Amino acid sequence: MTAGGYSGRALVVDVSATSATAGALELPDRVLRAYLGGVGLGTWLLHRLAPARVDPLAPSAPLAFVFSPLVGTPLTTSAKFAVVAKSPLTGLLTDALASSQFAIAGKLTGNDAIVVRGRAAELSVLLVDGHGARLEPAPDLAGLPAAEAEEAVKERFGRGWRTAAIGPAGERGVRYATISHDGRHAGRGGLGAVLGAKNIKAVLVRAATKVGVADPEAVLAAAKDLRRRSFGPATAKYRELGTLANLLAFNAVSTLPTRNFTAATFAEAPKLAAEELHELRGVARNSCASCSIGCEHIYSRKGGGSQRMEYENVFALGPLCGVSDPDDVFAASARCDELGLDTISAGGTIAWAMECVERGLIDAPWLTFGDGAAVLRALEMIGAREPGLGELLALGSRAAAEVVGHGSIEFAPQVKGLELPGYEPRSLQSMALGLAVNARGADHNRSGAYEADLSGDLDRLSGGPAHVAAAIATEDRAAVMDSMILCKFLRGVFTEPFEEWAALLRPVTGWHVTADELRATARRIVLAKREFNAREGATAADDVLPRRMLDTPLQLGSGRTAELTAERLRSMVDHYYERRGLDADGRPAAADRADLLL
Amino acid sequence: MSTIGWVTPRTAGIVLAGGRSSRMGTAKAALEWHGSTLLRRTTGILARTVDGPVVVVRAPGQQLPPLPDTVELVDDPVEGLGPVQGIAAGLAAVADRAEVAFVCSTDLPFLHPAYVRRVVALLDGDAVLPHARGHRQPLAAAYRTALAPVLAEMARNGELKLGQLFERCRTRHVDDAELLADPRLQAVDPELDSVVNVNEPADYRAARDRPAPEVAVQRYGALARRGGPAPGTVQAATLGAAAAAVGLELGRHVVAALNGDQITRDRQTPLVAGDTVAFLSADAGG
Repeated sequence: MTAGGYSGRALVVDVSATSATAGALELPDRVLRAYLGGVGLGTWLLHRLAPARVDPLAPSAPLAFVFSPLVGTPLTTSAKFAVVAKSPLTGLLTDALASSQFAIAGKLTGNDAIVVRGRAAELSVLLVDGHGARLEPAPDLAGLPAAEAEEAVKERFGRGWRTAAIGPAGERGVRYATISHDGRHAGRGGLGAVLGAKNIKAVLVRAATKVGVADPEAVLAAAKDLRRRSFGPATAKYRELGTLANLLAFNAVSTLPTRNFTAATFAEAPKLAAEELHELRGVARNSCASCSIGCEHIYSRKGGGSQRMEYENVFALGPLCGVSDPDDVFAASARCDELGLDTISAGGTIAWAMECVERGLIDAPWLTFGDGAAVLRALEMIGAREPGLGELLALGSRAAAEVVGHGSIEFAPQVKGLELPGYEPRSLQSMALGLAVNARGADHNRSGAYEADLSGDLDRLSGGPAHVAAAIATEDRAAVMDSMILCKFLRGVFTEPFEEWAALLRPVTGWHVTADELRATARRIVLAKREFNAREGATAADDVLPRRMLDTPLQLGSGRTAELTAERLRSMVDHYYERRGLDADGRPAAADRADLLL
Repeated sequence: MSTIGWVTPRTAGIVLAGGRSSRMGTAKAALEWHGSTLLRRTTGILARTVDGPVVVVRAPGQQLPPLPDTVELVDDPVEGLGPVQGIAAGLAAVADRAEVAFVCSTDLPFLHPAYVRRVVALLDGDAVLPHARGHRQPLAAAYRTALAPVLAEMARNGELKLGQLFERCRTRHVDDAELLADPRLQAVDPELDSVVNVNEPADYRAARDRPAPEVAVQRYGALARRGGPAPGTVQAATLGAAAAAVGLELGRHVVAALNGDQITRDRQTPLVAGDTVAFLSADAGG
C-alpha cells in the first residue's frame, strides 16, 4: 500500500508529432522514502529516465514536474512543485521550485510526478488529468508571455486547469528561459528552453482525485501549530518588506555584488532599497496558495501597472549592471517576466557583456554600466535571439565567454555555467564554498551557507573548517526542505529542524520517520545530484569560482580586505569532499552509490 | 567573538590580568564597565583588532570574570614576578601562532583599536615602547613574540624591571606626535586616552563617570521600521547597550555588523568612539 501523501507513480508522457502517450512508472515506497519528493525524487527520476550525456534540448531529454507528500495538505507553504531536467545552460542537473495551485492540481492528477519527453510537431499544450495526457496544438500562443498564455488557455479549456507555461524566450531556446505559473517562476537553469525544445508552450493539470494522508487529524493539528508559528519574528522580514530588505543590509556589509562583481557596495543602493520604495510607492502583498507568510511585495510603477520585486531581480538588473533608477529596474524585471527569462542569469550575462564592452572585447558601445535603457535593449535582443549580440548573450555568460575569448571567462560571473546570485563570495566565504560545490551551479537556494556568514558565529572572511561544516549543514537542510517540500522562508521557525520535519512527515506518510533518517536522506539527495553530474562529465575542476573571485581581493570600508584565494577555496572544497565521503574527483564512494537506489 | 585579521598578519593580543590591584583594593579585571567588565572590554578590543589569538595571563588560581570561549587563558607559572614574567608567559603561549603581540594591562577602559593598530604598525625592531601622555607605556606596547625566552631568562635571574628589556633589544620609542601622525588615530583618540589606566578607586570613578562612546547606529530591513526613526548616534559602550538604545535586542533574530565588517550577536562586544553599528535581521538572505 502506498504511503500517505503519495500516489506511488510517476506519469511519463511521450509527446510525438501530434499526440501524447502516457505510461505509469511505479514508484516503490523505498524510493519515495529515500527521496521524499520534489528535488530529491526529481533527481532520482532523472537518473532513471535521462539517457547518459543526452543533449538537454533533445527530444529524449526528460523534464519532470515533481510534487511531494506535503502538497495539498493544510501545512503552510507546502503548495510548491519542483521542475527537474538537464540544464541547457550547464549541461548538468538543474532543479527549480515554483509555487501555488499548479502543485496541488498536479499532485491531484494522481501522479507524484509528471515527466515529459519527446517533441511535438508544432507549438502545443499538454494536458494531464485523471484521463491521462493529451496534446493540443496551440500555434496561437506563440510569442505570448507566460501570463498571457495562462489566460488564453483558461479561456480555451476552462477554469479547472492550472498552467505552467513558457514565454517567448523559452520558445526560442534562450539558455536561461523560465517556466512560470501564476507569476511565479521555476527560474534557474533554462528549464523553459527544455520545454520549448519539445514545442510545448504550456503544461496544464487538472485535479482528478484525492490523495489521503495517514493521520488527517494529526496533520491538521500540526498545520495549525505551524501556521501560528509562521507569524513570528522568524518570518517578519518576508512579511514586512520581502526579500528586497536584503539590498541595503548587504550593501552595509560589503556583500552586494556591483558592476559585474568588481565591487561589493553600490553607492546608489538606497534608491533601490525596500525601505525607500515602501515609503514612495504603493505596495500590495500577495502570497502563494497555502501560504501564511505572504512574502510577495508588488510595487506600483510610474505610469501605471505594478511589478513584484525581489532581491535577486533587483540586484541583478540594478547594482550588478550599475543601474540605480528603480523605474529602469522595474521595467527590466517586468520584461524578464514577459519574455520568460531568469533575471539572475540575464543580469549576470548582461553585466559580463558590459565589462566586455569596456575592455573592447564586444563592439556595442551603447551597452554600458549604469544605463538602464541599455539593459532593456539587451533583454529584447536576448529574448529574440537577435543575430549577433542577442544570440551570443542568449547562451549565458560562460558559453558567450568561450566565444569571445581573450580571458573573458575569468570575469564571467558563473559557476558551472549558472550565473551567481546576489552574494559576494569573497565577503561570505561559507557561501563561496556553497556556490562552488553546488550541483546546479552558483546557487543560493540549494546552499544557504550565507546564513552562517551573516550569523556572527564565524568570521566570514576566513574560510576554513567551520565554514565547510556550515555549508554542509545548510545544503542538507535545503535538500530536505526542497524535497518534502516546504518553503525555505519558513526555515527560521524551526529550532530543531530535522526533528520537527520528521514530526510533520510522520502523520502525513504513516512512516516512522526519524531525524537521523532525514539527515541520511539529505546526504543521499546531495550525493545523488553529484552522481548524476559525474555521469554527465562533471569533475572536481567544476567545483570552483570565477578567477576574479580568487585573484582580486575586495577592500572593505572598514579597512579589512576580503580575500579568497584559489588555495583557500581548494582547501575548503577538499575538506567538503572529505566530510561528504566523496573521492578526489568529488564523486560519491561506491558504498554510497549503492545507497542511492539508482 | 571570532578573531579577525586586521592589523598586520599574525598579530596576537595579550592582556596581563595577574596584578595584585593593591591600590584599587579589589580585582581590577572584574570591575564593572557599562554592563561588562574591564577585562571583558580589553579582551574584546584586542579581539576586534588582531588577527591572531587573544590571551589573558592570570596569576595561579586567579578567578576571572566571564570571557568568550575564544579568549585563551594562560597561567603565570610563578606569582609575584610582575610583568616581566607575565609578558614572558603570554608571548610564549602565542609564539607558534603569531610573530607580534600587542601587550596591555587589563585596566585600559578607553583603549581604542586605532591605537593598537598604530603601535603595531610602528614595529620595525623587537619592540615598540610608546611614551604617551608623559609616561612610558610598556603595558600598552608591541613586542615580537621571539622575545619570550629573553624575558623568561630575566625572570629567572631576578631582573624584574621591564625597562631592562628595552636596553637589550631593538626598541622603537615613539612619542605622542609620532603616534598621532596616524590620521585615523588622531581623529578618534586625539588625547591618547587609550593609555589612561585606573589604579585607584578615584581613577575608576572618574573614568566610569565619563560618558560612553558615541557611535553611529543604523537599522536595516524590517528593523528599520521598529520603534520609530532611529537616532543617528547613541552613547553606548557595548553592542547590547547600542541595541537597547534603539529598541532592539541582539539574539536569534537580530545581529549587528560593526563598521560594515564583523558580524556578531555578542552583546558585550565593546564599542569605541567612531564606530558604526548596523543592526540587521539575522535571517538576511533569500
